[in-house]
Amino acid sequence: MEALLTNLGLGFGVALSLQNLFYCFMGVVLGTLIGVLPGIGPVATIAMLLPVTFTLNPTSALIMLAGIYYGAQYGGSTTSILINLPGESSSVVTCLDGYQMARQGRAGPALGIAAIGSFFAGCVSTVIIALFAPPLAEVALKFGPAEYFSLMVLGLIAATVLAHGSLIKAIAMVILGLLLGLVGTDVNSGVARFSFGVSELSDGIGFVSVAMGVFGFAEIINNLEQKEQREVFTKKVTGLLPTWQDIRDSAPSILRGTALGSFLGILPGGGALLASFAAYTLEKKVSKNSANFGKGAIQGVAAPESANNAGAQTSFIPLLTLGIPSNPVMALMIGAMMIQGIAPGPQVMTERPQLFWGMIASMWIGNLMLVILNLPLIGMWIKLLTVPYRMLYPAILLFCGVGVYSLSNSPFDVMQTAAFGVVGYIWVKLECEPAPLILGFILGPLMEENLRRAMLLSRGDATVFFQRPISLTMLLIAAFLLLIVVAPVVRKKREEAFVEA
Amino acid sequence: MKITNGKDFWAGAMFIAFGLAFMLISQNYAMGNAVRMGPAYFPTVLGGMLAVLGAAIFLRAFVSKVAHPLAVFPFRLWFVVGGLILGVIAFYTQPLRDAGAMAQIAHELLAGLAIGLLFAAFGPRSLWVILFSVVLFGYLLKPLGLVLATGALIFGSAWGGHEFKVKEVTILFVALAIFAVYAFVKGLGLPMNIWPAFLD
Repeated sequence: MEALLTNLGLGFGVALSLQNLFYCFMGVVLGTLIGVLPGIGPVATIAMLLPVTFTLNPTSALIMLAGIYYGAQYGGSTTSILINLPGESSSVVTCLDGYQMARQGRAGPALGIAAIGSFFAGCVSTVIIALFAPPLAEVALKFGPAEYFSLMVLGLIAATVLAHGSLIKAIAMVILGLLLGLVGTDVNSGVARFSFGVSELSDGIGFVSVAMGVFGFAEIINNLEQKEQREVFTKKVTGLLPTWQDIRDSAPSILRGTALGSFLGILPGGGALLASFAAYTLEKKVSKNSANFGKGAIQGVAAPESANNAGAQTSFIPLLTLGIPSNPVMALMIGAMMIQGIAPGPQVMTERPQLFWGMIASMWIGNLMLVILNLPLIGMWIKLLTVPYRMLYPAILLFCGVGVYSLSNSPFDVMQTAAFGVVGYIWVKLECEPAPLILGFILGPLMEENLRRAMLLSRGDATVFFQRPISLTMLLIAAFLLLIVVAPVVRKKREEAFVEA
Repeated sequence: MKITNGKDFWAGAMFIAFGLAFMLISQNYAMGNAVRMGPAYFPTVLGGMLAVLGAAIFLRAFVSKVAHPLAVFPFRLWFVVGGLILGVIAFYTQPLRDAGAMAQIAHELLAGLAIGLLFAAFGPRSLWVILFSVVLFGYLLKPLGLVLATGALIFGSAWGGHEFKVKEVTILFVALAIFAVYAFVKGLGLPMNIWPAFLD
């Protein structure tokens, strides 16, 4: 306990420095902004900003990028509630009851409870990270290559199980991602693989290009294909403070949402999106009058909004302790760490305590800023929603273009990103989820490396993965996950859960 | 046999193609053995798995209960053929390092046309207009500077949307160009020239 307090003290010392406060603020403002705006998500934004973080020191860079992710969870609810369009994919379920509340003239309390729930969840999950990350990192330090390989298998399987749509397509996308990740020079032999003699490709396909092409460009094209319909139902929000009755109604939901979200965020493949869906379903199950859901039940706003914020934050745990990303945003955070020359993994906590604890402390500060940004300043964000999309996407494209170009000051990266835009569009049309691909892409080289090492150490004996207890456990969990999804009963439920939402 | 699910059909075909391509190209590298894996080992195994999964998805297209038409998105076959032919020509006619500037430019134009055709083969008009303006931005940034490249991107991409209002887009362009110059070049110090290189 004492160690925890010393560590948090150190963290707040770092996070409260003027510079870090500024970048935290920038992060949460940007996060709220892109959260409010439909059609651009944290993945594309963080990808866009990665080149900018070159010039910052690592702690400030990560504090800002983290702020974008959890900030987007706050902003996303605003759009969901006011115009029935998810500003962020993790706010999809908030539309159901949030928009209904707005129609009944209760947009204020809906926004208020979303912010209060998010803030509560943010505080709790900050403490959870501080409590659980150190012991996990300790365990992770004992991991050998076999354990790491199995852990990655588990992470990737979990990511596919939790992706919506067809399981087999998701697995295929993971493998395709792993393969694309292998493009470039092989560290062991020095051979440039799959580069077709193109010198730019011998460094590998740029991660930013893939992420931005698939999540940024493809998104924009899809948005343009659908005719724009946006109606701000509530032009002026009054009475943001929920009544006592509202708070009493939603307090248990906030607690449940926070608990569930924190748990699901830690799981590989988890994060804000899954957390919000699960929380809504749970709330509907436990509620005494579940008929109210979809008709403006405040619990239907409180639970998923708390859960997505909790999940967004606790998904940093696997990143900070194991160096394994659990969702595309975390994959980008790994990219940001590597740009700064930090190898993600359990040693980050011991070798760079300022970075580790500074980032955790900044989350709490960031949450406080977000409440202020989102409640009194809500009018500003509503104004933003009246900006038509046709004015927005050229701006987004410009920022993307400048971002990719400045990665290595070459038009090749821009071309590559545009190519992934085309591919990303095709994937969307074929119902192939890109999120598992991104995870595979970042894990490809790591997985190969650990597989090689494990096999070398065991002298070619593949049973090593089953002989080591931790590795075996993880593989068993992975197999179990696959089995339960394939089982007809669960399969039906899973489809329902995604369709319903 | 009748294809019921067009999406599965194309997705399966794509995964099979990717899997086989990775396996085939891997044959150029050393395979090694299970103890000391060569650069070909992991991609060959993964490529095989991908091809098998792709085959399963492909077959599912015939038995699926979910019906999707075969035309999932706009597709122009002749553009692909043309793009591939031009691409092959461009690949084999790479000018030497000491070739004249005209030869270089001609080659880049050829390669650009090939890639443009491949982009334009898929999707709605907005797809290729927008992506092509982004690519243009990338290639114009150095010779023409940030402001003019931004102009190409903004006008090009706005033209790719549903509505194109010259006045509105011009205002947008001016605002974004000013912002970009101050934020990226002056603020963040990104190494970009603001005006065309030959004016400096």
